[in-house]
Amino acid sequence: MDYKAIAEQVIKDCLKKGADQAEVYLENSRQLSIEVRNGQVEIVQEASSFGLGLRVIVSKRLGFAYVNDIQPRSLEETVKRAVDFARALTLDENHSLPEDKEISEVKGLYDSELSSIPVDRKIALIKEVESLALKVPGITKSAGASYSEREEEIILANSFGLIKSYKATGCGYGLGVIAEKGEQKSAGYESCSRRFFSDLKPAAEIARVAARKAVEMLDPRPIKTQRAAVIFDPDVAYAILGGIIAATNGERVLQGASFLGKKLGQKIASELLTIIDDGIMEKGLASAPFDGEGVPTQRRIIVENGVLKGFMYNTYAARRAKVKSTGNASRSGFTDLPGIGPHNFYIVAGKSAPEEIIAATDRGLLVKEVVGYGINPVNGNFSGGASGFWIENGKIAFPVKGVTIAGTAEEMLNGIDLLGNDLDLNRTLTAPTLRIKSLQIGGE
Amino acid sequence: MNDYFPELKPIDRRKFLILSFQGSLALAASPLLIKNLLAGSEARKVDLSPEILNKAIATALKRGGDFADIYVENRISRTIVLEEGKFKSAVFGLIQGAGVRVIDGDKTGYAYTDELSEEKILRAAEVASLIASSGKKVQPINVKEQKRPSYITVKIPLQDVADSKRMEIMQRAHEAALSYDPRIKMASINYYDEIRDRIIANSEGILLKSSLPLIFFVVQTLAVGNNTSHMGRERLSRHSGLEMFDELPPEKAAREAARESVAMLEAKDAPAGKMDVVIQNGWGGVLVHEAVGHPLEADNITKQTGVFVGKLGKKVAADIFTMVDDGSLPNFRGTTDFDDEGTQMKRNVLIENGVLVKFMTDILSAKQLKMERTGNGRRESFRYYPIPRMTNTFIEKGKDKPEDIIASTKNGLYVQSLSGGSVDPTTGVFNFTCREAYLIENGKKTTPVKGATLIGSCLDIITRIDAIGNDLDFGPGICGKGQSAEVTAGQPTVRIRGITVGGTRQRG
Repeated sequence: MDYKAIAEQVIKDCLKKGADQAEVYLENSRQLSIEVRNGQVEIVQEASSFGLGLRVIVSKRLGFAYVNDIQPRSLEETVKRAVDFARALTLDENHSLPEDKEISEVKGLYDSELSSIPVDRKIALIKEVESLALKVPGITKSAGASYSEREEEIILANSFGLIKSYKATGCGYGLGVIAEKGEQKSAGYESCSRRFFSDLKPAAEIARVAARKAVEMLDPRPIKTQRAAVIFDPDVAYAILGGIIAATNGERVLQGASFLGKKLGQKIASELLTIIDDGIMEKGLASAPFDGEGVPTQRRIIVENGVLKGFMYNTYAARRAKVKSTGNASRSGFTDLPGIGPHNFYIVAGKSAPEEIIAATDRGLLVKEVVGYGINPVNGNFSGGASGFWIENGKIAFPVKGVTIAGTAEEMLNGIDLLGNDLDLNRTLTAPTLRIKSLQIGGE
Repeated sequence: MNDYFPELKPIDRRKFLILSFQGSLALAASPLLIKNLLAGSEARKVDLSPEILNKAIATALKRGGDFADIYVENRISRTIVLEEGKFKSAVFGLIQGAGVRVIDGDKTGYAYTDELSEEKILRAAEVASLIASSGKKVQPINVKEQKRPSYITVKIPLQDVADSKRMEIMQRAHEAALSYDPRIKMASINYYDEIRDRIIANSEGILLKSSLPLIFFVVQTLAVGNNTSHMGRERLSRHSGLEMFDELPPEKAAREAARESVAMLEAKDAPAGKMDVVIQNGWGGVLVHEAVGHPLEADNITKQTGVFVGKLGKKVAADIFTMVDDGSLPNFRGTTDFDDEGTQMKRNVLIENGVLVKFMTDILSAKQLKMERTGNGRRESFRYYPIPRMTNTFIEKGKDKPEDIIASTKNGLYVQSLSGGSVDPTTGVFNFTCREAYLIENGKKTTPVKGATLIGSCLDIITRIDAIGNDLDFGPGICGKGQSAEVTAGQPTVRIRGITVGGTRQRG
């Protein structure tokens, strides 16, 4: 199927119907997912799908429609709906599509061999990871192991003559296991996602980590409500970064709905803290040659040595703020209007080994899991449930479950006093181990 | 999917295998759904003949298996955003597809297609059939269309409503929010509606068709105070025509969001530690939805992993505690006529006077556990196979007056509304973030507090509920479990003794 030709035809139709600008975002994909439990395949799901998102601007008004079939009648209706919807909306001078025809070079997005690796090999991988984890002493049950992969082609075209495309793959697998002791149950999960099948971590490692996470949390002890140091494991980096991503969303800043909105160029965090948003990292799971509306992606510094350096913008928000798009238009699929979102967003590694950070802590909580909403981007308040380990005299003393941690973003970001050297850039939202010198912990 | 500020998503630990690639590669993200039907004019109706459906089912079972079904969906949707005084964007969605499933013992094969041609449907059936290996063969029964009672009535069909009418309703909410208080600096109104047509046919001979309207209306308001800001929210949702707004006025929702925003500007730091918590009636039921409802979904039981494994017929909660899932409450957001596998909706009492009496099943888990089908087999769209999900889940009303519950609580936390939360169904450990909460001091609701989290474990909490009000109410929400589902959660005012609260302030 010549999708580029379809995209160009739809754009022409939009202009004919009265649109001043039009954009087609076309997604063609294939998915496979497999689940195994107790050595038996439970689910195999396979499909390919197609979708087209159409954005039009009519007299500076924005309309959008999407469809998942390419019958001429359906496409015709999609065009009509988008144009009609646009006419009903409010005029806004800032609506415009990008014109930049460049793309950024990003290596390692597409594993051309992924689809030809036999399904049996993928099944064997998750059967192996499950069986290895079940052999670990203390592990009593499997909550299932799964594998999934996706291959897609994105085509983006607009009425400025811009036409870009790329292919990408992603695959990943993981499992959950349960450790039981008397009435106690403890679950451990681990997974690994990569662009290339051959880059996936070996089953033995994934199995070992999942089993360890389940077993090590048995026999937790209560702790008192108190203030103490809190160490965030890399697994819970998102609990801090999620709020920063939302608070550096350029549109949110314009709306006055960000606790960082008035802090550009100011110190917002400890000098140890540098945050990067990287859209062009080789093999990065959130890398792409252009963003959700075709603007070339880049590597940007968001926070440098504690100073807030920049916000993230798509074309619309950038025009409103009178800056240039930062290549952060995000789309979670053809059904979405481009919003604003990060690429590979991470805290730059520090110098301390994670063991040194623990050893340097007299009394504190090593957090391995956080639940809740993270930092509230509007006012910076943070509150969440946590589990992990209690540290006494520089040593892990016992596991802790069902406690809470709370504070403000200001307190947390400025309180970072030790930063680990254990950054794993194979995740999209990641940080090394870091310590906040004091936070409120809710326990007994 | 309709919250305008999508970044405020809970961190869901069930999604442990998330492939978060750029853009559409986010496998865990819910694809917005489906539908096609023209407002007031010709409709691209999807229909498939019984012959094609029979052929697809036969193809699906040709290598063996116990059961096969086909689910066809056609969805038309509209999203309109009014924000900062402007109608900012409008999205029209037109989506269709079909999914074919084969169950062979404990195994499921699933494949779907966007294209509804006979060729593509049979191809999906072929792919799904590959799962079968048991050698067991069933003879599918030819499908025959059946009519079922409906729990959804419509007075003003969405397909007859002009977009300008929808926008007028949004405008009313926007004005009401901004005129509530000068500290309200911004309002964001998000309107979504859809019509979802379903065709469900299976090897047991069922053929069902239905057309299901849904409205989801979200008001968010930003109040700005001297040193802080707060985003308030109110949501309205029903399976209904536009008459929903006659019963649930948009202005009222807007004022409620605005009231919350302004009230929370005065919030002080929340206390931390164990305390008695009173939760207001309505959406607060999301606490038992997460903490108790998810572990009662039968897939956790078949896997022998959930906290309620081995507890059927046993006392698990306080005597006064009765919990129900009822997918037949008229026009509720969690209601459908039949679930996405064709099982009729009904009222299911799950825990009765503290005794666990029923799990929520889909066809597969009902078969595995040799239990009845409860009508909880649901799916986000044709891109997903059905799994056990809640519908409208609530704590049955009790006898206490809400004011007496507060008055008899010496000190504690009054939770007026919860943002949402999550649970690990294996361990039953849950957490919730409070949107709006107050201290209770000497039996009175006093100072608002910010940033409070509730945390605990499922089996513990339901034995600690010691007061249940007579004021049962509901709130609409979105439930995520690898795929999203529209639900309501409900409860009367309840009190839980001794629950861990996470706040920033040490109690003196």
